[in-house]
Amino acid sequence: MSVIVIGLSHRSAPVELRERFAFSSDKIPNALEAMRSAGLTTEGVVLSTCNRVEIYAVTPLAPAEAFAKMRQFLINHHAYDGALGDELYTFAEPESLHHLFKVASGLDSMVIGETEIFGQLKQAYDLAFTHKQTGARLNKAFQRAFNVAKHIRTATNIQRGSVSVMSAAVELAEKIFASLAEHEVLVIGAGETSEKTARALLSRGACGVVVTNRSPERAAALAAELGGRSVPFEQWPDEFEKIDIAVSSTSAPHHILDRATLEPLMRRRKHRPLLLIDIAVPRDIAPDVSKLDHVYLYNVDDLKAIADEYLKLRHEELDRCNAIIAEKVAALLEANKFAMAGRP
Amino acid sequence: MAWFTDRHCFLLAVLIYGLSTVYSVFLWRKGFRRDEWLNYCLLAGGVAIHTLAMTKRGLTLHSCPVNNLYEATTFLLWALGLASLVYSLLPRLKFLSAFTAPVLFTIGVFALMPALDPPLGPKPEFSGAVRSLHAATILQSYGAFGLAAVAAGMFLMQRHDLKAHKLRALLSLLPSIQRLEFVTFRLVLVGFSLLTIGLIAGSQLPRPAGDNYFNDPKVVWSALLWFAYLESLVAYKFFGRASRRFAIGVIILFAFLLLTFWITNLFSAMHQQ
Repeated sequence: MSVIVIGLSHRSAPVELRERFAFSSDKIPNALEAMRSAGLTTEGVVLSTCNRVEIYAVTPLAPAEAFAKMRQFLINHHAYDGALGDELYTFAEPESLHHLFKVASGLDSMVIGETEIFGQLKQAYDLAFTHKQTGARLNKAFQRAFNVAKHIRTATNIQRGSVSVMSAAVELAEKIFASLAEHEVLVIGAGETSEKTARALLSRGACGVVVTNRSPERAAALAAELGGRSVPFEQWPDEFEKIDIAVSSTSAPHHILDRATLEPLMRRRKHRPLLLIDIAVPRDIAPDVSKLDHVYLYNVDDLKAIADEYLKLRHEELDRCNAIIAEKVAALLEANKFAMAGRP
Repeated sequence: MAWFTDRHCFLLAVLIYGLSTVYSVFLWRKGFRRDEWLNYCLLAGGVAIHTLAMTKRGLTLHSCPVNNLYEATTFLLWALGLASLVYSLLPRLKFLSAFTAPVLFTIGVFALMPALDPPLGPKPEFSGAVRSLHAATILQSYGAFGLAAVAAGMFLMQRHDLKAHKLRALLSLLPSIQRLEFVTFRLVLVGFSLLTIGLIAGSQLPRPAGDNYFNDPKVVWSALLWFAYLESLVAYKFFGRASRRFAIGVIILFAFLLLTFWITNLFSAMHQQ
């Protein structure tokens, strides 16, 4: 009996297909039980996220036979009547374990090194474990996978850095200010990205948020949602004395903040550092404001460049991560062989 | 082991500071990305041997070893190295030692010049306690000013990288610029307080009859230095001097201190006794 994997992911299938094969968590225990009753598996875990649907199983059948029968099971279970080719991939040992370790470590994710998948895999395993759908083989394989993911996180730089515009903005703020707890954020223009950036800053400890927008109702609604206050659009420059981070994303066709406006405001701020994040296109803030002392201006391209650089660094770490995984898979297979030999 | 004098000990310490300097260049080239303890250990080793060198000299003299330029310089470097080791223990200032090592190495090499360490003449006739307090606090203040200059250098580097949108600013494990600014200010304040205490202690020392303090170039130089640091602190704290200008000022003042300290000492009759 060996561990096998069958599934589809963002690498092999478009979202339309992934959603057809997705499992809601309340239906997973029944699906696992159905596979076991049909004699396809003795142990099983279903991982179903927006980017992947995978079944990790221990099967008494030969891998080729198991793959064919499980493929049919998936088609029947989801009443899928379309064409299905290479979108559904399969792995037998040792590739199945290698794949599991890669998934747990975020190496197979859309954004390499992301950590959300670790939590999702843990939930999927807990669900199967709670419903007694796992046994010695999968328990050991998953525990090892979680350990390997933690080891890779600490031993390599695969999860280092910000790979989104929002997190890059937060990281910048943390390199300028000693602590975000004493700094307020001004959101100019209630767009989606500025809202997310403000949320990210608040989640890292920013002490408050002020929202301004051409539509006062929208500003008030977003301020209420973020637990801050709103100010009329005409009055936002007055806030510059109090705030230390400004996120701008209006749809204005021209600059709404230029050097001539900012210079006297900086004097009123008594030269405290000011982080300006301009995520509007066309830009809201004139580039020459960055020449002012204490002003740190980043536009959307700057933030994207930071995120891309980090992503590049993560890709450079892949070889190290794969080497660790290969070593750990070999150790697990060796341990399994030893356990099998010890059985009467 | 009698042949192994305090100067040999100090030479060994300087060699270790040199190793630390080489390693600091490597860390700088790597963008201060790794949480690196090797450099800290090198510097700690250097400071330990440096302490031994000073202890040996102190035991020989039966007083604080600050009687000539060599001793004064080694004391200054020791204060700088020790303060750097303590500050480097703070998680966000762990790379301070990498910035301090080149300062310790270059000044250390200079201090090893034999001309700076002439044989001691007759012992000064005045009280040793006030004299030791005067010399020790003043040299410790120079150490604090040196460390402030190092922190100011880190501030300027981080500020430049952030302004120029260099990824190194984010990848390095250096502290935020606000923290560096705060540390620089605090160190200058500490240095200034020590300098004030040292100067007050110096004014209590007996001097040859008829001598005026302000005829001595070292006293005039010290007073100038005191006013320059006071101006820097007051302008920054109360008159909104920009952080960049403050940091540059701290570096320039320390460079001035290092370059002129020797000269004023050589021309000061009071400090040649």
